[in-house]
Amino acid sequence: MIQVNYRDVRPIYEQIIDSVQKLVITDALLPDEKLPSVRELASKLAINPNTISRAYRELEREGYVYSVCGRGTFVADNRTLKTEHVRALLQNFDETAAELMDLSVGKEVLQKRLDRIEKGVWNDTGK
Amino acid sequence: MIQVNNVVKDFDGFRALDGVNMKVEKGSIYGLVGPNGAGKSTLIRHLTGVYRPDQGEILIEGEPIYENREVKARISYIPDDLFYFLQADTMVMMKYYRGIYPNFDEKMFFRMQEFFPSIDVKRNIRRLSKGMQKQVAFWLAICCRPELIILDEPVDGLDPVMRRQIWSILMSEVAEHKMTVLVSSHNLRELEDVCDHVGIMNKGSIMIERSLMELQGNISKVQIACQTGMPKMPKEFEVLHMSNSGRVYTMIVKGNPKEVARAVSAEEDNLAIVDILPLTLEEIFIYEMGGADYEVKDILF
Repeated sequence: MIQVNYRDVRPIYEQIIDSVQKLVITDALLPDEKLPSVRELASKLAINPNTISRAYRELEREGYVYSVCGRGTFVADNRTLKTEHVRALLQNFDETAAELMDLSVGKEVLQKRLDRIEKGVWNDTGK
Repeated sequence: MIQVNNVVKDFDGFRALDGVNMKVEKGSIYGLVGPNGAGKSTLIRHLTGVYRPDQGEILIEGEPIYENREVKARISYIPDDLFYFLQADTMVMMKYYRGIYPNFDEKMFFRMQEFFPSIDVKRNIRRLSKGMQKQVAFWLAICCRPELIILDEPVDGLDPVMRRQIWSILMSEVAEHKMTVLVSSHNLRELEDVCDHVGIMNKGSIMIERSLMELQGNISKVQIACQTGMPKMPKEFEVLHMSNSGRVYTMIVKGNPKEVARAVSAEEDNLAIVDILPLTLEEIFIYEMGGADYEVKDILF
């Protein structure tokens, strides 16, 4: 579930946020499912409970979760989040594609890649 | 929880503490770091009421700690050199602690036995290994149900599984009872995972006291590949340190990593940003100490 990599350079706080966001967007956590409590997570990962509360608060602010007083933190409805996520990814795609075209990589090359991705093959050798 | 105001302590003319100011909030985990001989253990002995300050005051929950039994009953302390009675086994020590600490939780003691499977409670503690003696110290300290636990080099000598186990128990106590933890350690990697506040000590005083979040959010390491000589940084960011190998420049810059990234890429076109990273606690420590004339000397003569 929520994973922390102690060797990752990103602060733990960000890792928790990223990890929950990913779980919510990919439907690994369904709406209204309960997240582990701060205490559970703190003792399981052996990290500071204040860090976890802060990550949960930030997730709540971004709309990924909601909290019920005295009962815990739950996953929010993820439909709007998904469209938001898709929008962000498309934005990234546009930027990367524009950069590639600046480096004179032609449209055909990109098209070929898209075809390959559609078939589910994505490495450079293109087998 | 802890408030230290301008504490000074001399030992035979040697000034061990030179105006220490420090503040630890309830429920926080405070990491005390500093080079050898900075005065960490001396400060800790003041916080536990073992030493009396020459000047200044030390308040725990608003009360002076020296010779104050009511406040000391709510504090656990694991010193760097442990002491056990000559013939005592773990059970005897448990009874001793139970007699002294009013909040000692005997049920918890037996419940926690499963966390320390390798310890034979009937064996003389002095015949246990160093790591096992540490485990016993921790076991007894946490069962006193302290509101504040002070740990001087708590996990050195412990194996990786036990380190994790100990931190996990501590974190769960912090989350549940808002216990406050003050820990001194040289293992900065480990402190980074657990602490929310850090105090860096040098030459008898606290140089920097900050929340870890603030500390990490305000310094970043930038790696830039630059085609044309020295890279320029936007003026609003102060460059603390710069080094290069070939065309790749590494700079330590004051400022939030994300803002620095934005500013650098806006500045010039022929820069390729290789990496922008928040600084690790270890790097912050080394750079700050470097500014205070304490650094790793180059080993090439």
